[in-house]
Amino acid sequence: MLKRILMVAGAAVVLCMPATAQTVDEIIAKHFAARGGVEKIKAVKTMRMTGRAAGQGGEIPIIIENKRPEWVRVEFIVQGLTGITGYDGTTGWQVMPFMGKKDAEPMSGDDLKQMQEQADFDGPLMDYKSKGNQVELLGKEKLEGSDAYKLKATLKNGSVHTIFIDADSFLEVKDVSKIMQNGTEVEQESTASNYKDVDGLLFPFLMEQGAKGSAQKQHIIIEKIELNVPIDDARFKMPAPAPAKPAEPAPKP
Amino acid sequence: MLRAFFSYRKGSLALCGVLALGLYASAADVKTEVTTNAKIDSQTFGGLKARAIGPAVTSGRIAAIAATQGDRLTIYVGAAGGGVWKSTNGGLNFDPVFEKNTQSIGAIAIDPSSTNTVWVGTGESWVRNSVSVGTGVYKSTDAGENWQLMGLPESEHISRIVVDPRDGNKVFVCALGHLWNANEERGVFRTTDGGKTWKKVLFVNADTGCADVSADPQDSRILYAGMWQVRRKPWTFSSGGPGSGLYRSMDGGDTWQKMSKGLPEGDLGRIGIAPAPSRPSTVYAVVEAKKTALYRSDDLGESWQEMNSSFNVQGRPFYFATVVVDPKDFKRVYKPGFFLTASDDAGKTFGSVTVGGANFGGGGFHGDTHALWIDPKDSNILLLATDGGVYKSEDRGARWRQLPGLPVGQFYHVTYDMEKPYNVYGGLQDNGTWAAPSRHDGGISSRHWRVLGSGDGFWAQMDSKDPDLAYVEYQGGHLVRVNKSTGKSKQIGPYAASGEPDLRFNWNTPLQSRPSHGGELYMGAQYLFRTTDHGESWQRISPDLTTNDPTKLKQEQSGGLTVDNTDAEKFCTIFTISESPKNSSVIWAGTDDGNVQVTRDDGKTWTNVAANFSGVPAGTWVSSVEASNFDEGTAYATFDGHQVGDLKPYVYRTKDFGKTWQALATTDLKGYAHVIREDIVKPNLLFLGTEFGLFISIDGGANWAQFTGGVPEVAVRDIAIHPRDEDLILATHGRGIYIIDDITALRSLTPEVLDADLTFLPARPGVLRVPTLEQRFDGDGEFVGDSPNDGVTINYYMKKRHMIGDLRLEIYDAQGQMVYSVPGERRRGLNRVEWSLRSKGPKTPQATVLVPDFATFVGPLAAEGTYTVKLIKGSQTYTTKFQVAGEPDSGITSEDRAAERKAATQVFGMVERLSYLASAAGSLRDQAADRAAKLPANDPLRKKLEALHDSVKKLSQGLAASREGGFSGEIELREKVVGLYGAVNGYDGKPTGSQLAQVAVLDKQLDKAASELNAFVTKDVAALNPQLEKKNIPPLKIQTQEEWKKQNENKG
Repeated sequence: MLKRILMVAGAAVVLCMPATAQTVDEIIAKHFAARGGVEKIKAVKTMRMTGRAAGQGGEIPIIIENKRPEWVRVEFIVQGLTGITGYDGTTGWQVMPFMGKKDAEPMSGDDLKQMQEQADFDGPLMDYKSKGNQVELLGKEKLEGSDAYKLKATLKNGSVHTIFIDADSFLEVKDVSKIMQNGTEVEQESTASNYKDVDGLLFPFLMEQGAKGSAQKQHIIIEKIELNVPIDDARFKMPAPAPAKPAEPAPKP
Repeated sequence: MLRAFFSYRKGSLALCGVLALGLYASAADVKTEVTTNAKIDSQTFGGLKARAIGPAVTSGRIAAIAATQGDRLTIYVGAAGGGVWKSTNGGLNFDPVFEKNTQSIGAIAIDPSSTNTVWVGTGESWVRNSVSVGTGVYKSTDAGENWQLMGLPESEHISRIVVDPRDGNKVFVCALGHLWNANEERGVFRTTDGGKTWKKVLFVNADTGCADVSADPQDSRILYAGMWQVRRKPWTFSSGGPGSGLYRSMDGGDTWQKMSKGLPEGDLGRIGIAPAPSRPSTVYAVVEAKKTALYRSDDLGESWQEMNSSFNVQGRPFYFATVVVDPKDFKRVYKPGFFLTASDDAGKTFGSVTVGGANFGGGGFHGDTHALWIDPKDSNILLLATDGGVYKSEDRGARWRQLPGLPVGQFYHVTYDMEKPYNVYGGLQDNGTWAAPSRHDGGISSRHWRVLGSGDGFWAQMDSKDPDLAYVEYQGGHLVRVNKSTGKSKQIGPYAASGEPDLRFNWNTPLQSRPSHGGELYMGAQYLFRTTDHGESWQRISPDLTTNDPTKLKQEQSGGLTVDNTDAEKFCTIFTISESPKNSSVIWAGTDDGNVQVTRDDGKTWTNVAANFSGVPAGTWVSSVEASNFDEGTAYATFDGHQVGDLKPYVYRTKDFGKTWQALATTDLKGYAHVIREDIVKPNLLFLGTEFGLFISIDGGANWAQFTGGVPEVAVRDIAIHPRDEDLILATHGRGIYIIDDITALRSLTPEVLDADLTFLPARPGVLRVPTLEQRFDGDGEFVGDSPNDGVTINYYMKKRHMIGDLRLEIYDAQGQMVYSVPGERRRGLNRVEWSLRSKGPKTPQATVLVPDFATFVGPLAAEGTYTVKLIKGSQTYTTKFQVAGEPDSGITSEDRAAERKAATQVFGMVERLSYLASAAGSLRDQAADRAAKLPANDPLRKKLEALHDSVKKLSQGLAASREGGFSGEIELREKVVGLYGAVNGYDGKPTGSQLAQVAVLDKQLDKAASELNAFVTKDVAALNPQLEKKNIPPLKIQTQEEWKKQNENKG
């Protein structure tokens, strides 16, 4: 299967290599063709990625679930405690039990905006015009030793993503995003690699993330991607607070 | 917060910097190999990155400042040699935004009608002897994110850019043009189409350029320009001439008139002009002339009146000819100069603005000021560009704060010592001599830099016989010996002997340690001197090695209209010295006037081999000579002709003591050559510093490629290789010091390697160490240089970027156990993967809060010994080995480390055992409650289950903190075991006796908990399960530790 995808992607590259410069739409079309095709991408209704986040010697298990139209849930486990962020198309929420607080809380506006971007199932380039996003080609640059097209995607919500598409495979290599936190622009970058075939689509199984220019990076290492598995809608909804229970006395030593 | 870890697509983990784990370095054996014609490019060096370590506490010359006061104060700072830096918070912190372009900045302008559009003119116009060069005018339309070259590539120095406030497409560029020769691309240029096309609207002649241009703030058709005739030569400079003049245009630059009414007669020099924003008919100009003074016009520049000629107004016009008017008060006029003075009476009188008056040393700002920005909304707020960075005042200049986020120091040279970690030392233009450690856990910040010398700093040398001694210089060839421990300093330079002519020392006087004789030094005037007693006395070991050309001994007449005799143009001097490491009697000296001299008998006789070079113009400045580390007849030389207008790189090698020279410069190079270094291990590995960066050859100079890993297009003036740590250290003239950690991988790049799909390259062995931790909260403003990563680095070369399929590294210990798996780097060229030398942390019992300090986030430090790496790339597997050893000189023995590891591993096991017990007990407790709930309230079996639940719950509560609320302070077995784990694992030496005793104490408590749980299982569960089965209720089930471990393999 993987081989077939590669051949298709390769053929697309060869067939569409005109002498003239690439346009934004050509690059995006080739990008989605390289991933496995727009139709196939859109046929994915749910996705669950299971893996781990690693950095500075530590590792934390992580599960990312997406469901159309634009729902997302990220779960991660630290020392047996599960942190969750979720978005159901309307409400963004989080459970951060690490300091003893177990109830879900609504997200701040800045965090919600990021959650909404994560919830965009196919990313900002898919149907970008109808989504109200603007994309321009800034040129070609060397990235990790290979040529990459540099696309600037200005999202409807004002966020700016600079997306690098590998000029050879047309897969996404890197996304530098400018997000607003507390009214201040913050740049973060995410590098994608280790693409593998999942049901006829290529997905990156490794992402390296961090603040732009920082030497401190974390890896998101994906172990498994499941497509079109049933995921209950309730998982994306903000859980009700746990019923209040009387405080237990401290056990005697 | 934790949440930030795991947003998919966003990042910034910082999985607790606390946990960084350790390594240091020692030499690896690398065979020297001869390679031929290895074609490399910048990408070949791939993941090899230089780290900038500053300093920012002493910064560098700032040539231009532009700012815009929107919601927040956004500032663009143009450094003389260090690029453009942007702050969006009033200067609290800065980011470099011009990294891919020329780093010498002359002018910055923000389009007033569209503040995302920013123009940068490269090539500083404060044209001192050491000034860098530009490559044209650049524009960004996205607030500095991306830049485009808009033209004027031959302008070399740009003094000012003015954007029409009503039409952003109309821009004026004031181009000074070539400093060292005549050229045509100079004068005032105008674009009306946003930079697509340029028209030269004001041009005097090929020797005269534009020094300042300004527009009437209300009517941008009215323009003023100061045209300046100036020429530098290495031995002199001349400001002023018939080409200079003050010009005005009333028609948007179409036509210009030379204004003279009221201005001085005779030749003029540099002119700076500023109309008053609040009353544009009033225009101020500082005019260099026989009598330099500030002039004022109250009729749009038609006629002028001399106002003031005080010291700071007159001083050094070539360096300070600028005047700035308060945006609200036309009578308040500032004159940047040696310091900052201001007038409150429209230029009649000037006084110091600072409450301390003029300041040299101590508080206040760094002297020599070149630009001033005044906040148009609140003219109390000033930003001042100085020779030592940017300062901000919020009280109209009375008091100042340095903005500590600008590491733009202009080093001339760099050296190191042999301390652990080693320190770097170097001298900076107008900022003395400074030293800093090459590494410091948590980063190298301002407080780690130490000043050792003052004035303009150049070379510094260490004394290998007496490590307390450092030799530092200041301008004029002054040499000082400093006791580092006490800070005491002693002047020790040589003097001319009786009857000898005065000594001539270059601005950047050469000072070299003898590789063969610790504590001995060379110093060059026109003669070569040597000391064998730490500078107490000097022997002259050469005749005058220069051309001693009287036409070039004109320092005292230097300056033109304004005499400027500062030693900066002292000529016919030795500039570079190198003793052969293979034969100490072979000494090379290169002079600024083109001589390359060599002695093979320790200075008794000297041979000038300058005539043996072909392709380099006679008399070209010898910027470096480098004796080979491998062969006494081999040496390298670079020449730098930029000070006579020749910007080509010249690089040569001889193998026969200078009789013949082979040219090594290729079209791969960019910028005139400052320095060449031959590697100390591999003869074919050469490093070249040019005006535009660092270049590397792996084949003895046949091919070169620019090193772009973190180093911008900055002038690399000096290069050192640390012989113990194998680091490459760069002195840049604009961005401080850079260190490229561990160049052993570069030494093994061969054509065979470059041709392989994937191949491992050697690296330093991993070093076990636990980093120190300082509790500090210094805010966000200060520049902090990176310290090298701890752990081990695994190097490999890949021919092609990896995109599809797995790429990971598995690390196995000597017993063949996999201890860690880490994702691979994926770039074409050299890749570096780091492992912290710690395995994964133990499974930690769940509780209501996380373990303090993330103590269980990481596993024990690796054992000393040999490790195997399996790199899995798709279906291919590649294997290599690496060594891990303890930190040398740490005072921690291998036995201590083994004891620590043993104890840490034991407590690791205890944490996991407790996790299992807590999990099993919790599960049993919940199962008991679950089964009880399935039975009627009065069922006796239910009562038994409830009793079991209560008993097991009590056990559970003793295993891990269970009370709600962040600061319950509850200490149970988990808290004790984890605390012990952190204590033992947080130190890389022997555990304390108390810790080892506590291991036994807690182990017993674990045994007790295990036996209690076991008792529940063997007694209660065994008794209850048959009864449950009878009622068709699922039995109680307890996992074994093995089952639990398998199930939790990938859980945190």
